[in-house]
Amino acid sequence: MSNATEQTGPVINLIASLEESMLREAVGGIAGEYGPKYMLACADAGEPPVELWDALAEKGYCGVNLPESYGGGGLGMTGLAAVQEELALAGCTQLLLVVSPAIAGSILVSRGSEAQRDQWLPGLAAGTTRIAFAVTESDAGTNTHNLATRARQNAAGGWEISGQKTFISGVEHATHILVVARQELADGTLGLPLLFIIDVNATGLQRDLIPMALRLPDKQWTLFLDGVEVGEERLVGGTEGGMGALFEGLNPERIMAAAGSCGAADRALRTASSYARERKVWRTPIGAHQALAHPLAEAKIELEMARLMTRKASALYDAGYKGAGEASNMAKWAAAEAAVHAVDRAIQTHGGNGLALEYGLTDMWWGARLNKIAPVSREMILNYVAEHSLGLPKSY
Amino acid sequence: MKICCLVKEVPDAAVQKRIDAGTKRLDRSGERTLNPFDTHGIEAAMQIREGGAVAVDEIVAVTMGPDTAVRALHKSVALGADRSLHLSDPALSGSDVCATGYALAKALETEQPDLVLLGQQSDDGECYTIGAVVADHLKMPSLTQVIKMDVSEGKLVCQRQAEYGYDTVEIALPAVISVGDAINEPRYPSLKAIMGAKKKPLDTKGTGDVGIDPSQVGEAGSKTQVLGINPPPPKQSGEIIEDEDTNETVEKIVAWLEERKLI
Repeated sequence: MSNATEQTGPVINLIASLEESMLREAVGGIAGEYGPKYMLACADAGEPPVELWDALAEKGYCGVNLPESYGGGGLGMTGLAAVQEELALAGCTQLLLVVSPAIAGSILVSRGSEAQRDQWLPGLAAGTTRIAFAVTESDAGTNTHNLATRARQNAAGGWEISGQKTFISGVEHATHILVVARQELADGTLGLPLLFIIDVNATGLQRDLIPMALRLPDKQWTLFLDGVEVGEERLVGGTEGGMGALFEGLNPERIMAAAGSCGAADRALRTASSYARERKVWRTPIGAHQALAHPLAEAKIELEMARLMTRKASALYDAGYKGAGEASNMAKWAAAEAAVHAVDRAIQTHGGNGLALEYGLTDMWWGARLNKIAPVSREMILNYVAEHSLGLPKSY
Repeated sequence: MKICCLVKEVPDAAVQKRIDAGTKRLDRSGERTLNPFDTHGIEAAMQIREGGAVAVDEIVAVTMGPDTAVRALHKSVALGADRSLHLSDPALSGSDVCATGYALAKALETEQPDLVLLGQQSDDGECYTIGAVVADHLKMPSLTQVIKMDVSEGKLVCQRQAEYGYDTVEIALPAVISVGDAINEPRYPSLKAIMGAKKKPLDTKGTGDVGIDPSQVGEAGSKTQVLGINPPPPKQSGEIIEDEDTNETVEKIVAWLEERKLI
């Protein structure tokens, strides 16, 4: 796993440590017992993947990034990314793993008060507390400065939250939601963003399912908050530190998206290669035809480059280096592109079978395609790189 | 009760196996892992401990191999062993099955186990016989292909998979048992166990520490010598029964099965 010293800086381990190898093997083994059939059965039944989540949680794999002092594994994002990559490779990506231990867990570790860390982190590490993340709004999109959900402080020091959120993942399996709202000032205008942990069944909270093309058991929801009350102990990062706390969660989110894309790309390439080795229409297997082989080889190269950048992003993040933001964005971009290309080539390799549901590639297509949009679009990443890495003028 | 589990580091299953033409031995470079068959032995030990019929004081993972074999021991500990013993010495390099069995037996003598468990085969050499060799040196009874074990004070009642059916055998302890992979489904290690594996005691011993006669081990001490290596002969094509008359076809298939005592 990654580590750092003052002399050498963060280290990217190109060979998995024994611990990472065992973790990957175990996660892959458990996920393999469930597989995409289980995930689709859950999706069709409208049920979250409780059995798989519990099997992972029982072994401690849902909180590998969190500090050992709170019951986690202490492996940082390098460890949690490995878990998500193995799950995706087995066709069992868990969106809750992105929002709960990665986003909410990272925010609480870095910006939570001691009392909040004591209250929330052990449950997050054990997987028994599952916190969804609600930031996106239909009129704000990626522009968090335009959020309209408001938090008004009441006389008792608590808060009332009202507004609407959209595309919120995994609420049906969550126990709580980390909501981003803006503080309502005395003149009624909205100030800085604030982060609150609300109960998933809080009075005043309603949710509507958003039908999606992607057949995943983790659903997407629109949330309606109408005066949801929380005590002051549910405010994370204080009234001044909400934006900083929010950004603490974004890099882990991107690393997890990258890891999931890498796992999916690997799955697609393995599926395609296996098919191309066996399928024979003329004298040789179709994999011998360079028109099919070369695009798969290109996709493999893209995957390995994305993996390397994901490792770099994880190592930088775990070491607390500033370059983690740039690397996380690049990893997420590269992995999403690699996954889309890999799945597209896998479909092409399969011909008509690529669109047959039994081969599972169409489900992978929507999953891969999703990651070019969420959690941050490829365009916003390119904006970031253009502005921050190349010093070009801001475009928006 | 003290249980020793024999384990082995083998090339990862994903690695293409090949023979080193120079040494005429299996090329063991590349990714290596714990022999998956041995994980059934560790799991069997854990189930004896958890079953409670006898008190298990200690489960010790034992291996013979180069420095890299430590990874197999760490993994064994993550799967449940309490500590591990690594028999490692350049003098052991090139040992055949008989020499390896002798060396392992000498290491086991220092542990005085009540029960020795191991997998039915290694994933690389696939000789299936190391348990019997070890037992012979230890003067212990031995069983192979055991798929069920009931333990009580001083004895085991084992079910072993035979060619046609199952044998039920009672065996006195101490004993050496190689377990079939149908005996259990090895558990996955918890994250805590993975992270704690390197902190568990690991003893490294050389040939002199366990009283191994150097003339009995290594390439020179081995009783077998590889003279040549050839690819296996091509498989004979199977018997194809054409379905021209279904009744006749069924009769032929039934006769074929009966001839082999499969029905």
